[in-house]
Amino acid sequence: MAEAKTSSRNKIYAVGVIGFLAILTILYYLSAPVYLYIAVYMWFGFLYGALQQYGRFCFASAWRDLIMVKVPRMFVGIMIGLMTLSIISAWLFTKYPNFYHVSPIGPHELVGGFLFGLGMVFAGGCATGSLYKTGEGNMISLTVLLSLSFAQAILVTLPFFDPVMDALHLTGPNSVASATPDIWHWPQFLLANKIFGIEPGQHASFIQNLIGNAFVNTILIAFLLMIGVYIVYVRKNFLKRRKAAISASAGASADGGEAKMGFGDEVAGFWHMISSSKRTTIAAVLLGIVAAIQVFTMSWMRDQYNFGDTQGNGNFGAVFAVNADGSRPTNDKTDRSLDTWPAAEPGEVTKGQSMFDPGYWYITTQEAMAAGWVIDGVVPESITGNLKAPHVDVPAGQPQPAENGNRYFGSSNAIPKPWHSPALLLSFGLIMGASFLSLWNREFKWKFPTRELFIYAVCGGTIMGIGSRIALGCNIGAFYTRAAFGSLGGWLFFIGMGLGALISAQLVNKIANKKMAKQMESMDFDIEI
Amino acid sequence: MKFNKNDDGTYELDVTGYVCPHPQLYTLKCMEKLNEGMIMEVLIDNPSSVESVTQACNGKGYAILETNQPKPGVTAMKIQK
Repeated sequence: MAEAKTSSRNKIYAVGVIGFLAILTILYYLSAPVYLYIAVYMWFGFLYGALQQYGRFCFASAWRDLIMVKVPRMFVGIMIGLMTLSIISAWLFTKYPNFYHVSPIGPHELVGGFLFGLGMVFAGGCATGSLYKTGEGNMISLTVLLSLSFAQAILVTLPFFDPVMDALHLTGPNSVASATPDIWHWPQFLLANKIFGIEPGQHASFIQNLIGNAFVNTILIAFLLMIGVYIVYVRKNFLKRRKAAISASAGASADGGEAKMGFGDEVAGFWHMISSSKRTTIAAVLLGIVAAIQVFTMSWMRDQYNFGDTQGNGNFGAVFAVNADGSRPTNDKTDRSLDTWPAAEPGEVTKGQSMFDPGYWYITTQEAMAAGWVIDGVVPESITGNLKAPHVDVPAGQPQPAENGNRYFGSSNAIPKPWHSPALLLSFGLIMGASFLSLWNREFKWKFPTRELFIYAVCGGTIMGIGSRIALGCNIGAFYTRAAFGSLGGWLFFIGMGLGALISAQLVNKIANKKMAKQMESMDFDIEI
Repeated sequence: MKFNKNDDGTYELDVTGYVCPHPQLYTLKCMEKLNEGMIMEVLIDNPSSVESVTQACNGKGYAILETNQPKPGVTAMKIQK
């Protein structure tokens, strides 16, 4: 009786989550029709959150559970999701050839991935995993998110950040957070363009994208990794059990001999690995499809609402940008109607700046921006500098401008108000999506950090934040979308993430062993402790 | 983390309050300590850990005898080695 009452109450809360987001959508639309763009981001976040919660989809588990408990479900799930997204995005590149801003490929991805992997095992989840777990009522994950966000924002406001990034040749004259960061020395290319020798300004065909980006850069690598995982973690136990089962049934046969395993059994084992966690595999495929639909939808909306074009170019910052005289900056769309836009209010985005608006699944950069917005409002400018002022690189020895803003926040990207940041609303929607499904399935539970878990969360979140900034993205932006869209750099981040996870897993394992031994030393068991 | 022996000879592990990777880590460590045929009931309030524990048990050949939800957000799994 009480159980049924709790269940129906949870379902009411779940419906309440949907109602709340519906009201927000209406309010956005009433403020200005173009704000539907923000609301659509939010609903995509909702879908990501619900699917992640359903599939228990956390990128941290890919390496961590493989290393610590020999469970390959998440590693395999991620590969399946990548393959799905890569195939659809081959078509997306022909429809909107400029939707993806190619990231530079370089050792910063390996180093950033290493730090990210190190942190995510301590934190108990990756960046997007911590978002969906926050939606389940897990305040430890919220602690991770806050640590990750503020660590990034504080890092980029520290005086040594720019010189260090410069010394590593990780920043050029533009912001490291800009859409196409100008990173010295490191190449920026999609594999299809490289293989087929596509010149700048030209676009690869669907077949070229399918072969170069989807097949070679994603499917082939993902498939080889899956075979490796099968051989190391699954094969032995699977074939042993299969052999025993066949031998047992063959015991009644004439020879009663031991069954021999062939190629068909290997295929069965490989399929067993893929299908053993149906939730994860289903969620992986759907996440790949939703991620592709988001790319299409955001590119289409940019064109429809006149801040983008039919090629996939465009940035939501245009909606807020005003010139010094209060007029709107012009672009190539001379006939555009601004009827759906909000009234011009100077100050949020200045001419030449943009807003962080990737147009696809992205996590962490928008949260760093939100943390920067808080810091800008709370911490005196004498300490942080003018975060919102445009950064201007002036060669040494030349007169420096009086107000030289933060390169990360102020050069290409403005710090938007949080409620004007489409990507931040995606993160918010993701939390809400996970809340909806966990409430509906009676899995929502408020959980608050103990001292031990608080330390893990803060340390893990902080290290992940530093890794994200160095790699210019997290497990989604620096790995998932990069690897799926045709950038080899995504795999560098993934390798780095595995190496980092390997080290922190050893440490967490040692701590767990000590804790277990302490817990059991005074107990009288008939098992060997 | 609380690991106890019940009067009926079964074991009980309570890892509620923990997040990944601790519930799956402690569950498998405790299972490794048990002898063949012994049963342990584990309480977990972290949904992703339940999935990982299920997969780990399948991989190791441990039988999951029963899974239920004693209260919202908490899963009880009875595992036999």
